[in-house]
Amino acid sequence: MSATSQTIILNSSDGVDIPVDKEVATRSVLIRNLLEDLGDTGEPIPILNVNEAVLKKVLEWCEQHKKDPPATNEDDSDSRKKTTDIDEWDQKFMQVDQEMLFEIILAANYLDIKALLDVGCKTVANMIKGKSPEEIRKTFNIQNDFTPDEEDQIRRENEWAEDR
Amino acid sequence: MVSRSRREQRMSHVSDSESSASTSPERGQDDDNDSFMLHPNDSQSSLGGSISRDISPDSVRDFGERCRRSPICRLPAELLIAIFTRLSTSPADLRSCMLVSKDWARNAVGLLWLRPHTDNWQGLHNVTRSIRAVDSYFAYHDLIKRLNLTQLGNQVSDGTILPFSGCKRIERLTLTNCSKLTDLGLAPLLDGNRNLLALDITGLEHITDKTMKKVAQHCLRLQGLNVTNCRKITDDSLEAVAKSCKHVKRLKFNGCTQLTDKSIMTFADNCHSILEIDLHDCRSLEDESVTALIDGGRQLRELRLQHCGRITDNAFLQLPQDATYESLRILDLTDCGELQDAGVQKIITAAPRLRNLVLAKCRQITDRAVMSITKLGKNLHYIHLGHCARITDVGVTQLVKLCNRIRYIDLACCQNLTDMSVQQLAALPKLKRIGLVKCGSITDRSILALAKPKQAGQGGPLQPSSLERVHLSYCTLLSLDGIHALLNNCPRLTHLSLTGVQAFLREELIHFCREAPAEFNDHQRDVFCVFSGPGVGRLRAYLNEEATASNAYDGETTMFDDGGEDGPDPPIGGGVMLGDGAADHPDHQFGYHGVAIGDGHPHPHSQAQAQGGVNVNGLMGAMGATAIDEDEEFGEGSEIMAGD
Repeated sequence: MSATSQTIILNSSDGVDIPVDKEVATRSVLIRNLLEDLGDTGEPIPILNVNEAVLKKVLEWCEQHKKDPPATNEDDSDSRKKTTDIDEWDQKFMQVDQEMLFEIILAANYLDIKALLDVGCKTVANMIKGKSPEEIRKTFNIQNDFTPDEEDQIRRENEWAEDR
Repeated sequence: MVSRSRREQRMSHVSDSESSASTSPERGQDDDNDSFMLHPNDSQSSLGGSISRDISPDSVRDFGERCRRSPICRLPAELLIAIFTRLSTSPADLRSCMLVSKDWARNAVGLLWLRPHTDNWQGLHNVTRSIRAVDSYFAYHDLIKRLNLTQLGNQVSDGTILPFSGCKRIERLTLTNCSKLTDLGLAPLLDGNRNLLALDITGLEHITDKTMKKVAQHCLRLQGLNVTNCRKITDDSLEAVAKSCKHVKRLKFNGCTQLTDKSIMTFADNCHSILEIDLHDCRSLEDESVTALIDGGRQLRELRLQHCGRITDNAFLQLPQDATYESLRILDLTDCGELQDAGVQKIITAAPRLRNLVLAKCRQITDRAVMSITKLGKNLHYIHLGHCARITDVGVTQLVKLCNRIRYIDLACCQNLTDMSVQQLAALPKLKRIGLVKCGSITDRSILALAKPKQAGQGGPLQPSSLERVHLSYCTLLSLDGIHALLNNCPRLTHLSLTGVQAFLREELIHFCREAPAEFNDHQRDVFCVFSGPGVGRLRAYLNEEATASNAYDGETTMFDDGGEDGPDPPIGGGVMLGDGAADHPDHQFGYHGVAIGDGHPHPHSQAQAQGGVNVNGLMGAMGATAIDEDEEFGEGSEIMAGD
């Protein structure tokens, strides 16, 4: 990575140009690959699936994490998957409404920013942890589409997984 | 806002959850405890499978409405599964997820049932009930990828595992020490399973060729096979396994005493992906199969041949000239008694990147073999030469000079060795474990050298010793002085064995020692002296306190009654006590180690102290007769260092 920062322009799905340090933007594997494939033409790069508000939020995360070592091998990400620890800055960063939270996760997935996707998934996992099914439904405003019989059947068939 | 087309695209993901489930992350692997679980690359296993579906996809309009009310509905199945993956260590949470909605149930069930908890009877009973149910909500039997009944061990019977015969997608089956099992239970489980990757049936002594033939017939993807101590298994079935399971990578045949070259040659000829093979105690094995294994699989990393007593130099001498085996890292030839210098020389040349080499009890080898081992240079991390009694200081000196990355060395019972060897070994900058059991000539001079801080690099700062485990049993010349210095200079020390060292067989010190193993007899208990874990710290603290006390006592006659409580009666006149008690060397406290250690001279009083009025020689004789072999400590798991 060069010492002098180089600016590129991203164009959000709602048509807004957002200038950003290349170093920051290339936390996204999608953008990195686009730059490699297309060459650095100076043209705005269209980010088809992410709107301005979400893209700015994602870039805020990339800025904070621009010096992080790139995730290396599978083993690392494997061990990451299992814990639900999130560092403090990230926790604050994720204190957004659910609309934004899931948009960030979708954007991280689309832009291929594994570490951000990871933080997003952990955040949601932490919202689920320890809750009853009804509490989970309430948290995410999900409708229960089971009949009482079906619910009872699933409860029974998965009894072994109850807290021991 | 999200565009319409994007919503539709996402919705198609949702309705496509079954297929996307198959690329989803799987539950963590390392909660299981069989050996094959440690290798993440074995498995291409996946979630999913046929999950019964009983809802029709919502219409696009409904989907948009749902997302507005509940933003989480925007996540496609694979992201929902990615979230659930973070909960996979908690089945209770996954179960709650399953009860949230049909959509969540479909996406959580694969993770939950990937590895059902079967480590207690209640859990196993419930799991069994669900997989047997005819009209179950999901086809649970097809979701189980890993089954581990190790925790229930010898209570598991054929009847216990029969209900799992329908689980044909099991990839990892771990039945370690479920010793009651027979072919009647196990063969049906394997029959028709084409997905099995790893089978661990360690200690299932009733299992015969019948079961192994099922493996050969059906489990063509098998990569790991552990049949340790399945003594009834013979060449007959394993030849068949070797011919059909060509992708095997890790094989453990320890204690399968019936095996001969016949089956092992077949593996060497057919299976070229073998990474590890453990043939511990396959005593009928001969040179030809060893040559074939090394030469056949260029991937071979680990070869264990402990107690394969028929192996000779020819196993290695017959390797093609000039061929090298760069992958081979670990070679264990413990008690291959026929092996001589020529064989060692050849394998070192052929496998220049060996990292762990065990030649314990290869009693014929001499310094010539050691000289050839030095060619491994920095690659060598672990070397065991215990009971290679012909080795001398010359070999060890050279070894230390050329292989300075050694972390573990064992030279037990190499009785020719003197302080000179240990003083050289002490210079190894990464040394963590040293075994010198029954190196009877070594004295405190050796121990002081080990305790001496090392310089990091050229002109670098002094660093404390990296030693963690030190085995000095039956080094009968040792005294408290040396060990006290060692304790104070090795902050990482967690294990110190001094069995049979008279200076430590004192009530107040034995107090900090760990319990003797249950199988020891009275005499063995009498001389047992091993400090481990917190015991090391307590011994250190005690000796320091004692030294301080005796220091104060030495300087101030008023302290008479408090000091030296465990020493002999204090002589009148207090000042001239040296050589009497154990720790009454006021000059031997903290500051002393830094200054006095380097000179290589033991403290003038150590000898007198070691004697302490007990007939050391008499005890020695007794010990020689009932030698307590500490070797069980050696070759512990730590030598298998994963990765490179």
